[in-house]
Amino acid sequence: MKNIIFGIIFLGIQLLGAQEPDEDLMRVRERLDSLSSFKATIELDVDISFIKMPKKYADISYERGERIQFESDDFVMLPKRGLDFSFSNLFKYSFITVDRGFEVIEGKKYKAINIIPTDKKADFSIAMLLLDTENDRIVGSEISTKKEGTYQLSLQYASNKMPLPEKVEVAFEVERMKIPLNYMGKDIDVDKKSMREEEVKKGKIYLNIENYQIRYVE
Amino acid sequence: MKYLIYAEFYKLFKQAKTYYALAALFVIEAIVMFSAYYQGSTIIDVLLDNLKESFYFEGDLLNGNLLIYLILNTLWFHLPLILMIIVSGTLTSEYKDRTLQAVMMQPVSKVKFLLSKYVVATLFTVLVVLVLAITSFCLSYLIFGSGDLIVYLDTLNFFENKDAFNRLIWAFIVGMFSMVFFSLASLTLAVFFKEATKTWIISVFFLILCNLLLKVDFGNNWFNDVFFVKLNDTWQYLFYYEIDWKKISINVFLLIVYSTIFTILGINYFKKTDIE
Repeated sequence: MKNIIFGIIFLGIQLLGAQEPDEDLMRVRERLDSLSSFKATIELDVDISFIKMPKKYADISYERGERIQFESDDFVMLPKRGLDFSFSNLFKYSFITVDRGFEVIEGKKYKAINIIPTDKKADFSIAMLLLDTENDRIVGSEISTKKEGTYQLSLQYASNKMPLPEKVEVAFEVERMKIPLNYMGKDIDVDKKSMREEEVKKGKIYLNIENYQIRYVE
Repeated sequence: MKYLIYAEFYKLFKQAKTYYALAALFVIEAIVMFSAYYQGSTIIDVLLDNLKESFYFEGDLLNGNLLIYLILNTLWFHLPLILMIIVSGTLTSEYKDRTLQAVMMQPVSKVKFLLSKYVVATLFTVLVVLVLAITSFCLSYLIFGSGDLIVYLDTLNFFENKDAFNRLIWAFIVGMFSMVFFSLASLTLAVFFKEATKTWIISVFFLILCNLLLKVDFGNNWFNDVFFVKLNDTWQYLFYYEIDWKKISINVFLLIVYSTIFTILGINYFKKTDIE
């Protein structure tokens, strides 16, 4: 009982302290908001146990406020989550932040922050960001969406000046599939439900982004 | 021997049922294309259904390569069935029309006579697979264009256009050995059963049995690897992401061995049996 009361008081203090958005986060957001549009070429490497796919290439383009667009000569699968390098979805609606202290990764210290949306329209329930406060950039995130599960991003940058990442690792949950299909005409009409298994698998996509053409807001 | 082979080819292409059977094969090819045109997107939807939540897809997977793969699946049942009917018919019709007695009254070696039928059966099978491959490649690319191939074999495998093209060609080549095996087996069955209907029923039973036993696991032993029913899916090995060429080569070699065994069995039995 004592622990619960302390817990509630602690959370209350945390939330009270969280009313003002974090300053470091605001600087990161400002830097991301300065991007008007960008174009780049992207190399995708899918690492999902039940999918075998060669490396794929696509051109991506982003206009502020728009969904990211992509083009490719051959078939590509692009993750729905993780391509929003501007993290615009996180800042679209009102939110509060909670300081989670610092995390050390490979000898470097990063600030951990929780973002909790206060608007029901937000499509995520909570997000954790790792901030590189020296260069005002996001180096990692774990975002719990309302409909599409949780996904993690790990971002690496080519130089301290770059606002956008050079390498991104997207980790997400994906349903395992089992298809009793041999492509015979008679088996085309199959029951989709019977082909699904409950098991959820972790998948990863490695993105290498090159040839950035960035335009900033004037 | 050369003239016997010519004569067998002449007889094969003279009989109307050869053309009926070939027409049936190409009707099946057309139906596969037609149904794929309307249901192909359903297949892809099914394959990609649970990935749609996590991914955007760019590019069309309903393309010529998928169509060729669908046609290639006729190697399971439709194509060997048609080949078995045509090939076994080359001997059963001789029994029925009593032309066999007429031939045997000539100074013709029984071994050479039947061997020429086996040679013609092999060459005809190769020709049919070749024509099927050429028509399916031409029509599929012409109507549906090219693109990545998606195949579900334990895992969801994606192959780029050039890779898919090479794999499909090799699949036809490897599948051809299975088809030759079934053709020669049906000719041997014709030697044993003589009568057309009986031979066809036994041939169909043989084909169904092979397909059923293919799915039966005989345990982790040598028998499971070398039993002839276990070799007829060898062409599918080309659609695993990593191709096991060693296994494919061994299987093809075994198919040649089994085809030879069936041929020797048939010739031996034919040699010892009197023509009534």
